[in-house]
Amino acid sequence: MIETEPGPGRPRLAKAGKVLSAMSTAALWLAGAGLVLMTIIVGWQVFTRYVLNWSNAWTEPAALLLMSWFIFLGAAVGIRENYHLGFDVLLYVVPRKAKLVLRAISDVVVVGFAIGMIVYGMELTVLGWNARMPSIGIPDGVKYLPLVGGGVLIVLFSVERFVLRLAGVSVDKGIDLEEIPSEDAVREA
Amino acid sequence: MESIILFGTLTVLMLIGTPIAFCLGVAALMTVLYMGLPPLVIFQRLNSGMSVFTLLAIPFFIYAGDLMVRGGIAQRIVSFAGSMIGHLRGGLGQVNIAASTLFGGISGSAVAEAAAVGGLMIPQMKDRGYGADYAVNVTSMAALIALLLPPSHNMIIYSIAGGGRISIADLFTAGIIPGLMFAGALMITAYFVARKRGYPVDAFPGFRQVLHLGAVAIPGLLLIAIIFGGVRSGVFTATESSCIAVLYAILVTVTVYRSMGWRQFVDATLGAVRTTAMVLLIIGTAAGFSWLMAYLRIPAQLVDWLQSVSDNPIVILLLLNLILLLLGTFMDMGPMIIITTPIFLPVALAYGIDPVHFGVIMILNLGIGLNTPPVGAVQFVACAVGKISVWQAMRSIWPFYFAGLAVLGLVTYVPAFSLWLPALFRGG
Repeated sequence: MIETEPGPGRPRLAKAGKVLSAMSTAALWLAGAGLVLMTIIVGWQVFTRYVLNWSNAWTEPAALLLMSWFIFLGAAVGIRENYHLGFDVLLYVVPRKAKLVLRAISDVVVVGFAIGMIVYGMELTVLGWNARMPSIGIPDGVKYLPLVGGGVLIVLFSVERFVLRLAGVSVDKGIDLEEIPSEDAVREA
Repeated sequence: MESIILFGTLTVLMLIGTPIAFCLGVAALMTVLYMGLPPLVIFQRLNSGMSVFTLLAIPFFIYAGDLMVRGGIAQRIVSFAGSMIGHLRGGLGQVNIAASTLFGGISGSAVAEAAAVGGLMIPQMKDRGYGADYAVNVTSMAALIALLLPPSHNMIIYSIAGGGRISIADLFTAGIIPGLMFAGALMITAYFVARKRGYPVDAFPGFRQVLHLGAVAIPGLLLIAIIFGGVRSGVFTATESSCIAVLYAILVTVTVYRSMGWRQFVDATLGAVRTTAMVLLIIGTAAGFSWLMAYLRIPAQLVDWLQSVSDNPIVILLLLNLILLLLGTFMDMGPMIIITTPIFLPVALAYGIDPVHFGVIMILNLGIGLNTPPVGAVQFVACAVGKISVWQAMRSIWPFYFAGLAVLGLVTYVPAFSLWLPALFRGG
């Protein structure tokens, strides 16, 4: 829900913004579906264990795998919607120009870490490819794929913020505007 | 030198406002690069730190809370509390606290509670002539009760941050008496402030009405029994009972209350995704960070240093409380627990403080920090709902702070408040 209208003079930015916006919505809904599926899987585990009295070995690793995707997708969307927890005190007191520079540095730092997620996530995936997860029989390396997927989305969304900020679009709401981050604080709740 | 890079990077990045999850990850990454260790290890720790089955309880409990708020369980609890004690002096303030206590027993999230109870109570209180600042302060302080009563997901975070060996059932039980003490202290404060300001007194609606509203609220309140009974008896794990809480919340709001439509369901689900993805990512990157701290023997060095300062647990507890209060005003609770537990828990243990007791102290202490500027998630939400600025709220919050700190003192120096109940349950 960030301001992604770079104005009429920048059609290419606007187009990219639309694509990224669709990706972000898709990621959020996928993560939501993951949460629902996690509920069903663990619910099934409880049901089979306590009612039918047999236990599934696959439910725990499957739920954990889903949780990894859910976290990284949700975290990537958090970059775009700007709802990550941060320590914003200094940003309230420095002048607006400095604020923009500090925000830009933050984005670069985030991109750096996300690139690490992609590179080392792939390495870990490859390293673990020949081992099998004990109970569900799929390659152990699969569990590092969310790291790669989340990393790619975080890079895309951070670069978008960086570019939009350069173009003069306000992407750091809540800090530019007022003391009380009313809407998003309530929405988070 | 390694420690300087680790904490220096963390501090600088935090100051420039980088999201905390990434501050922790990048600080660990820089240190590993400096030490010549393979960076791979940080990402491996990130992934394994998140792949813990107990962690699933966090999204589930937050999800259940969101479903209860949007599906009408919260409203019914507030009405029930209103019928019981609305006739006391400063009635709606007392109702607010009682409703928070009941709702805290099923939600466990202070922010969700401030939004839910505050959204219902603050407009009502303003209509009835209560000052907006009073309404906001009562709401934001009462919301902290949820942190102490089971199912507090912050206690699960503490248990995981403490190495996963601290019993969640014990932590849940240990928070009950301090939580009720906190509620009591707030009620007394709310009473005196209301009397001084001459707030209205309502008529008692009659036992018939109380019974009626109680019956309506029962399906929601049953969750308390399910969650606490399940975890305490050891029949269910925390994760399993949190999942049951989600399924039960859906069942009750869809079939009994019929107030959960597709729109509310989607809102609750996506809301829970937003809140929890952030917290869980922090837990993941903090896993790499704490692994490095342990590798560099930082907690052990701190223990050695503190032991040269004082050998008195009373002094150490005071010191730890002051540090936590100070840090807590600047940072949110989840990240604070994750970062400080691996550092301070060894200190507490070295001075013979029970890890369960220390957990209760830490959560109450950091809870008060959720209600202080510059970073106070609960206070921001309550102020937003009450449409006043943080400074307007701060002008008259002092009696409530005093009540909170008094309870913190009692809980810190009388371990029995925290430890008596878990021992009773274990014994029986």
